[in-house]
Amino acid sequence: MGTTFDSLLHGFSVAMQLDNLWYAFLGCVVGTLVGVLPGIGPLSGISILLPVTYGLNATQAVIMLAGIYYGSQYGGSTTSILMRIPGEASSVMTCIDGYAMAQRGRAGAALCIAAVGSWIAGTFGVIVLTVVAPPLATLALRFGPPEYTALLVLGLIFLAYMSSSSLIRTLLMASLGIMLGMIGIDNMTGHFRYSFDLNELGDGIGIVPVAVGLFGLGEILSTPSINVTGEVIAPKFRDLLPSRQEWKEAAFPIARGSLLGFIVGIIPGSAHVISSFLSYALEKKVSRHPEQFGKGAVAGVAGPESANNAASTGAFVPMLALGIPTSPITAVLIGALMIHGVSVGPGLVNDHPDVFWGFVASMYVGNLMLLALNLPLVSVFVTVLRIPYAYLYPLIIMFCILGVYAVNNSIVDVWIMLIMGMLGYVLRKFEFDPAPLVLGLVISPIFEQSLRQSLIMSNGYWTIFFERPIAAGLLIVSAALLGLSALSFVMNRKDWRDTLAEVEAGEEKAS
Amino acid sequence: MMLRADHVAGAGFVAFGALVIALSGDLPFGNLSMPGAGFLPMLVAILMILFGVILMARAGESQLFANIRWSGGKHAVLVILITGAAIALYERLGFIITMMLMMIGFLVIIERRNPVRALVFSAGVCLITYIAFEYGLSTPLAESPWGF
Repeated sequence: MGTTFDSLLHGFSVAMQLDNLWYAFLGCVVGTLVGVLPGIGPLSGISILLPVTYGLNATQAVIMLAGIYYGSQYGGSTTSILMRIPGEASSVMTCIDGYAMAQRGRAGAALCIAAVGSWIAGTFGVIVLTVVAPPLATLALRFGPPEYTALLVLGLIFLAYMSSSSLIRTLLMASLGIMLGMIGIDNMTGHFRYSFDLNELGDGIGIVPVAVGLFGLGEILSTPSINVTGEVIAPKFRDLLPSRQEWKEAAFPIARGSLLGFIVGIIPGSAHVISSFLSYALEKKVSRHPEQFGKGAVAGVAGPESANNAASTGAFVPMLALGIPTSPITAVLIGALMIHGVSVGPGLVNDHPDVFWGFVASMYVGNLMLLALNLPLVSVFVTVLRIPYAYLYPLIIMFCILGVYAVNNSIVDVWIMLIMGMLGYVLRKFEFDPAPLVLGLVISPIFEQSLRQSLIMSNGYWTIFFERPIAAGLLIVSAALLGLSALSFVMNRKDWRDTLAEVEAGEEKAS
Repeated sequence: MMLRADHVAGAGFVAFGALVIALSGDLPFGNLSMPGAGFLPMLVAILMILFGVILMARAGESQLFANIRWSGGKHAVLVILITGAAIALYERLGFIITMMLMMIGFLVIIERRNPVRALVFSAGVCLITYIAFEYGLSTPLAESPWGF
């Protein structure tokens, strides 16, 4: 514990350097804007701005990109509360009671509770991350190829199980992603696979063009500007303080949301979306006045907003300790660190203490910055919402092209982005969630390598996965989750995932 | 039998899986003790076909294919065409000219905005972005044959 504390102090000495503070601030501002603007999520925001970090060192780059990530969680609540439009997916639940509070003239209080809840949850998440990540990394040093294979299988199954769309749809998307991830040179044998004599495809398909295409361009293609209304409820600064009663009603939901969000965040999948939904359901269940939910219940804002922020911090645990991306966003962050020559995994704590601890410490600072930014500057962010969508989406497409091209100076990447945009549009029409596709693409190389190495190690015997306790344990959990899904399918039972899908569909219609 | 969305989607995945298997002909599959470059692609393609068939079998739960709303289709096609043209010109005309033309295209052709306002907005945004990236962030952007 003492060593952790000393290391954290070292992290603060890195994070408090003027240039690092500047990049944390920049990340927080951009992240808040990304969260505020509908049609551009944290994944597109981080991907587009990735090339900007090329001139920075690894610590500065990850501090800025992570600032965008958790900043977007704060910003997403603004549009949800003021316009009933979720700035990004995890703010869907905040729309319900946040907007109802705004209609009752309590928009300022709702924004303040969301910001304070986010800050408490974010800080709580960072404290637990500080304590949990280093020992977990030490444990992960015992992981060999079979354990990594089993862990990735569990990640995929968990994602499919937790997803609000069906198990088969999620597995199909993940398979498509894994398939795309196999394009290019096979690292183990040197064979070119599906590159059709295009040199640019030799290195494979990058995460950035796929993510920007599916989530940035795909969203714009699905959103004609006539469908976007610009009516905003603008709160006054003096109305920002909640009443004593509202603070009282928010306290326990914030605490519960923080804990629940962090736990869900560690699990692979779109954790921050799921965490806010689970928190809303929990608050409604434990409330003495469940009938107030949907009509402006404070707990309906405090719980989900705290949960999605804690989840975004929780998602850093497997990324930093195991080097495994649990979401497309952490995958892009891992990619960013690799571009700067830092390989993420169990060795990160010891090999690059400046990056690891500087990053962790910057999150304490970043969360404070966000609290200071989000409340006084809410009217500035509201002004951004008044830009007509007709002018906004050409800007976003320009940044998509600029960002994707700048990664490798490759026009083929930009064409891939356009194709992925079209694919994203079609997938949305057929009600497929594209997130598992990106996750599949990211884990594809690690998964293939660890699976083939495991089979070579065992001379072709699949039993190697059951002879090693950690791998066997992980596979048993995977089988149990598959069994639970099959049971729910056979019994034709409605569970929380169906309810989440219904809520998401309802909010889309309402907005 | 009514054609449903998941019938079409499932058939699409089955066809894609079959295509991958057809394209994997020259990749060595290897064996279990030494898996080759075609090992995992074949495995995933078979799984994809299997999942596609299950999706088709359960298609009764999905909406009718004819009921899929393509109302934003015209907007999407126009955005794709203009973006495609911009990508084709990007390395030839450089960032400023291409992006300006693209944004004017969006604003005038799709959004029916005033052409003069569209020109001023596009030129301003492109110039500010160019200066910010080239000089502020030291990120070089595609240049035109005229050096900007």
